[in-house]
Amino acid sequence: MELLERYLQAVKFWLPRQQKQDIIAELSEDIHSEIEEKETELGRPLTEVEIETILKQRGRPMLVANRYLPQEHLIGPVLFPIYRFVLKIVLLCYLVPWVLVWIGLLIFNSGYRAEHTGPAWISALGSTWGSLWFAAFVAAGTVTLIFAILERAQAKSGFLGDWDPHKLPPVRNPNLIPRASSVFELCVGMIFCLWWTANMHSPTLLNLPSLRISLSSEWRYFYWGFLILALVNISLAGVNLMRPYWTGLRATFRLLSDVAGIALFFWLLKANLLVEIAATTVSAQKAAELTRAINSVWMPRMLPAVVILAVVIAVVDVFRIVRVKMSDVRPASTGKFAVMA
Amino acid sequence: MVKSMNPENFENLRLELRRGCLVLAVLTALRTEQYGYTLRKSLAEHGLAIDEGTLYPLLRRLEGQGLLTSEWREEDKRNKRFYCLSGDGKQILKQLLAEWQNIDLSLRAVLKEQSHGTSRTLLAGR
Repeated sequence: MELLERYLQAVKFWLPRQQKQDIIAELSEDIHSEIEEKETELGRPLTEVEIETILKQRGRPMLVANRYLPQEHLIGPVLFPIYRFVLKIVLLCYLVPWVLVWIGLLIFNSGYRAEHTGPAWISALGSTWGSLWFAAFVAAGTVTLIFAILERAQAKSGFLGDWDPHKLPPVRNPNLIPRASSVFELCVGMIFCLWWTANMHSPTLLNLPSLRISLSSEWRYFYWGFLILALVNISLAGVNLMRPYWTGLRATFRLLSDVAGIALFFWLLKANLLVEIAATTVSAQKAAELTRAINSVWMPRMLPAVVILAVVIAVVDVFRIVRVKMSDVRPASTGKFAVMA
Repeated sequence: MVKSMNPENFENLRLELRRGCLVLAVLTALRTEQYGYTLRKSLAEHGLAIDEGTLYPLLRRLEGQGLLTSEWREEDKRNKRFYCLSGDGKQILKQLLAEWQNIDLSLRAVLKEQSHGTSRTLLAGR
């Protein structure tokens, strides 16, 4: 019977303190009753193997004890879907930009690349990714902690039980263009055009007594290029305001105008546009150095950020076209904003 | 997509179906005083086998809710805990049995209607 005593002791370890004795006494009695009945049947005492079989049938001590414990959870079924959703968003918002920046640095920053591709690249990579995972772990832990606290609060106050169907968000149509967004685009576009034509027409950007900034003659291409793009976007915003839903044609126009804008900006960074900076407080030599630095150091340094931005914008634009096409293929819904091709 | 019949699914649904019935069976059986082991045996003899890992926590829960009373007593030279339905337990059992009868009647009605519907469909298909 030593095996039985060991079993009971193991179960006892996991039981709540106040109920240990009571539960163990009852469990012990039940097992003894079973053993006694079997012994009566067989007409002899049970062997150790037979007792072992009985105990195995009853289950692992921790699981047996667990059935006596109240059902507990860190985050319950009410909050769990929201927790999972928030966790995904937090991790996505953190991990994706982090990986994009890391890839950008690796491609465009020669100093960073040299550090991470040399003989010690494994340790450099380890430390880089180690810091990423640590921060991701802290983010996930913080979200979990906040939801565990919310779960306790919800269990006490039941604040999630009180809700109003009228406060639910309106039915979502991903192809709908909010009018406020079109109005915003129109206003920004018009202000930009006014400012651009008033101030950026001449290659001499500034011509003050104390400061003069001159660009090369190529500037006229950029001037007209950005102005035409701004006018295209204003027209698109105007159409979007009147017909507030995306169509395949307009989504493609948006993609083309964004790609053109990015290409133009990319060219601007590589065009060595700055010809002269002349300031009364700066010597001619210093001004020439500054001009060279802006053209050949500062502008190229912006390239990684522009590439990342370009990729994000292009992905969003392409996704929009695909979404519009998919909703064209799907059976027509009853929505009043069903996409019209 | 419909998954193929999974024996595990059936087992889970069967356990879910039995869970509520077991509470009713335990309360009914404890109209007469019994201790855990004999209760388990008697339920098993009536086709309602329940393992001790389920029965004893259930008995404690029902006692905690005031539906059962228990008492440690010596029988056959061993201390045993005897359970019996309390006054509140008797009231609840009465209500639960009525509810169970209603469920049984409703389910039978649904089944009857369904079987008639199936017969009509089969006849129409001929």
